[in-house]
Amino acid sequence: MRLHKFLHNSFTNIRSLGAVASLALLSGCSWQSLLGLDGKQSTFITEGPVARTQLDLFYVTCYVTFAIFVIVASILAYATIKFKARTPAEESAIPPEEGHGNPLIEVGLIAASVFALVIIAVPTLKGIWYTYDVPVEEKANAYEITATGYQWWFKFEYLNEQVPGAGVLTTGNELVVPAGRPIHVNLRSMDVMHSFWIPKLAGKVDMIPNRGNLLWFKADKPGYFWGQCAEFCGDSHALMRFRVIALSPRDFNDWLDQQSKSYRVVASTGSGLGKAQFASLRSFKENEPGVSGDFEVSPLDAWKAKQFPEKNENPELITRGMHLFSEKTCNTCHMIRGYAGAVGVAGPELTHVGSRTTIAGGNLDNNAEQLQRWIHNPGAVKPGNKMWVNGYLLNNIKLTSEDEVALVAFLQSLK
Amino acid sequence: MADAITKSGYTAHDEKITARSSLFYRPQAKTGLMSWLTTVDHKRIGFLYGVFALFFFLVGGVEALLIRIQLAVPNNNFLSAQQYNEMFTMHATTMIFLAIMPLSAAFFNFIMPLQIGARDVAFPRLNAFSLWVFLAGAIIVNLGWFLHDGAPNGGWFGYTPLTTRAFSPNHAIDMWVMGLQLLGVASIAASLNFITTIINMRAPGLTMMRLPVFTWMTLITAFLIVLSFPAITIALVELMMDRSFSTNFFEVSNGGMPILWTHLFWVFGHPEVYILILPGMGIISEILPTFSRKPLFGYPIVVFSGACIGFLGFGVWSHHMFTTGMGTVATAAFAMTTMAIAVPTGVKIFNWIGTIWGGHISMRTPMMFALGFIWLFMFGGFSGIMHSAAPADAQQHNSYFVVAHFHYVLIGGSLFALLAGIHYWFPLMFGRKVSEFWGKLSFWVIFIGFNTTFFPMHFLGLNGMPRRTFTYDPNMGWNNSNFIATIGAFILGVGVTIYFAVMVYTYFKGERVKNDPWDGRTLEWSLPNPVPEYNYRVIPVVHARDAFWYEKQHKEEIAAEHAKLEKAESAHGGIHMPFQSIYPFIASLGILIGGVGVATIDSNPDPKVIVGKKLTVCLIGLGIFLYGVYCWALEGNEGYHLHLDGHDSSDTKH
Repeated sequence: MRLHKFLHNSFTNIRSLGAVASLALLSGCSWQSLLGLDGKQSTFITEGPVARTQLDLFYVTCYVTFAIFVIVASILAYATIKFKARTPAEESAIPPEEGHGNPLIEVGLIAASVFALVIIAVPTLKGIWYTYDVPVEEKANAYEITATGYQWWFKFEYLNEQVPGAGVLTTGNELVVPAGRPIHVNLRSMDVMHSFWIPKLAGKVDMIPNRGNLLWFKADKPGYFWGQCAEFCGDSHALMRFRVIALSPRDFNDWLDQQSKSYRVVASTGSGLGKAQFASLRSFKENEPGVSGDFEVSPLDAWKAKQFPEKNENPELITRGMHLFSEKTCNTCHMIRGYAGAVGVAGPELTHVGSRTTIAGGNLDNNAEQLQRWIHNPGAVKPGNKMWVNGYLLNNIKLTSEDEVALVAFLQSLK
Repeated sequence: MADAITKSGYTAHDEKITARSSLFYRPQAKTGLMSWLTTVDHKRIGFLYGVFALFFFLVGGVEALLIRIQLAVPNNNFLSAQQYNEMFTMHATTMIFLAIMPLSAAFFNFIMPLQIGARDVAFPRLNAFSLWVFLAGAIIVNLGWFLHDGAPNGGWFGYTPLTTRAFSPNHAIDMWVMGLQLLGVASIAASLNFITTIINMRAPGLTMMRLPVFTWMTLITAFLIVLSFPAITIALVELMMDRSFSTNFFEVSNGGMPILWTHLFWVFGHPEVYILILPGMGIISEILPTFSRKPLFGYPIVVFSGACIGFLGFGVWSHHMFTTGMGTVATAAFAMTTMAIAVPTGVKIFNWIGTIWGGHISMRTPMMFALGFIWLFMFGGFSGIMHSAAPADAQQHNSYFVVAHFHYVLIGGSLFALLAGIHYWFPLMFGRKVSEFWGKLSFWVIFIGFNTTFFPMHFLGLNGMPRRTFTYDPNMGWNNSNFIATIGAFILGVGVTIYFAVMVYTYFKGERVKNDPWDGRTLEWSLPNPVPEYNYRVIPVVHARDAFWYEKQHKEEIAAEHAKLEKAESAHGGIHMPFQSIYPFIASLGILIGGVGVATIDSNPDPKVIVGKKLTVCLIGLGIFLYGVYCWALEGNEGYHLHLDGHDSSDTKH
């Protein structure tokens, strides 16, 4: 975003802040939104018991330290003002009594500090045990998933869902889970250290190579949540993002059924392709945001809409794209179940990529323009990623804009 | 400085060195470049540490400003991802190892021997060696900026396997690894020197429980360095072996264990935090009594709490690893020890308040910085307590909340204390005093800029912004705080610029002051300023905790005692001074050349290339190093005697 545009927006924001504040108070708006602490990854807004435990403990530490602060700061401020030398004579005078210390005061203060810390220590210990693993009484109901970190995307494996002939059900960058059930996530990494963090649902736990970690969370109700890698993992660490979508049990089962299917084939009508259909989409500036505001009005509904085929599908274009997928060697890294030869595992699995709300590791909205932006120059979207080598797609592939349009159509059809 | 130290008005006549027929020429230059390269004077070495540290402080500051420009607005592309990662890696490495630590070392060198009534440190040439090896390490760490491979970009924590050859194939990380090892060598050598000096070279009567608190903190810090740096050295050597010789300590594909690195790093890394803050606490504990005109409240408790922090500091490292899945019991144990360490830290704050309570506070610039220190350090302490609650930390860890926290303790704590110390001891070092107006102005600008930058970061972190991210989307709710932080960073930059401009001006043109301008309490203020090369004309006898304060209260008694001591000392042969030496510098030069060779040697070498060019560089470095060490050993640790009353001068073996 350009600076002046940003400044303009900021000033507009500030001007309307007063009005918004009074309006918000009247309408019972939350203090988080008043203070601007209601971001998509705000830890102040919790949507599950793990994050809530963590937030409650944070508040305890706030209360205790605030109480100490009030006492210590007022004494310090009082002493500074009261005992300030105001004249040169006062400055050079020697205070009458030279207090070297007072054992009673010292021991008293140490005892008080210890007491204050005990107030924090008790819920800390409780919290450590509660947040570590799914509580015993809920274990039977827990749903198990393995999340694996790669530079710079996440793979999710549904250990209980066997897809005939293809192992366990696998997706990338968008983790769909049932709401109201504890989710047990095994954390793995295939390259460097990453960290798995969904602020509204649970604090982070690291993904460390050669070490099995775990994390659990539970979403109170269906929702759409933002997550991000929280351990520095190389060039595009900032762009290693993901989403968690919690669904009602019924929706979740529908989703599982749909995802377990092989890829969706759109039959060619044999009508051939005209030049017009290859109308190039638009070009992007390197630092243009990949996300739009429209989506955020109701992200969960937007996600649901994504489960159905796009309007205006062009079967010819899709068929062309399908052939290009193996012609341009995409299939060596990306799996599409049912697509002969698309068995790669180095990149995210794409069997139902069209049903996701984001692409490129949670960075770009999943629409035609952004998809083309991504495959046109992956290095500009996510610096250092393995799909882009020295100005070419991996394996020295260069796409014409017509290729790009066809591939985009194909990828969008994968619902 | 050369001016200040050499024309300091002592009346010794020129030394005529006619030592035993020696192969080795002992340099005697008192001015000019050679005098600096060969110096073993702790004050000159301290001064050089300070100059280098401040230079790197400015470099680190510029890096910080570039980081803030990049983050000022969302989706900015002022820096590329790679450049941003280099920037934050080098900002941290520079500020920790090349700015704050050497600035502390500058005070250790300059002030500590004066506070204990010594004429130099125990091993003057080793002291010079520490300085030059530090410089060699600093150069190697920064070399990447000028080379094709770029600066190190693996973070100051260098987590494996990101820093292994598989994921960082070029030499940037090699330079970081080599540079840090050399900085470790420099720090450990210097620390052994300080420990020996404090244990052995205290003036008569200066018992341990009469030591000035700054000297106490020097001692504790030195022990922390000696005990913690080996841990990171082990880790760095292992990583170097992995990278250069294909061992498998951290190489995941061959079964290496990255978690080993995190443990080794933080076993060093957490004591390092106290290495950075304890000297600052020592400085504060000197300034507050002086400007309150009262002795330090609860001296024994302040000392013991410092030692206690030192001990506990080795038992809390895993609170940097609460999210690595250590399991419940380990997490609980480290959460408890982390809370425990808050107690001695709090005790210090209580005692500082006790010190100003009932005093006559004279609000000079050093005192302003000292009080600013207490306020900001208190904030940093509170957010530290919040981190100790491990489940809450799972949300805060690696977010901007942590960035806010440690800048409050490292800028608000360490740096404010060091800036206070510069103001406080400036008259002693250079015989000039900084203008109160400009000093206070710089304080307020720095104070306001600092808080504007880092206070919003608490909320950024709690609002979910991870650290070490080169960009962020505009819809995450992080725009305003980031923009405010960037404005604050520039205010802070202006403040620091004012501070240093005033320092430079004062050095050349500031108001001259007589000795003891603050009515000080500790021994160093009994010296004329600038301090003569030999420090003490007569080694004093210490009678009380605030030794100089006591002397000022008992002038006649002390004068008589001084006369007696002076006679005894001159009968003993006069003031003994160590010879200068060039060899510490030469040995370090060899290390620099060899280090560059090792750091840029290819991992899968083409035999011709390695024999041809790069191995040669290493061997040349090794040769120079061995030559330096050999001559250093053979030239002997002799010194000469000064006779200030001008009778005779003779050269003697030590």
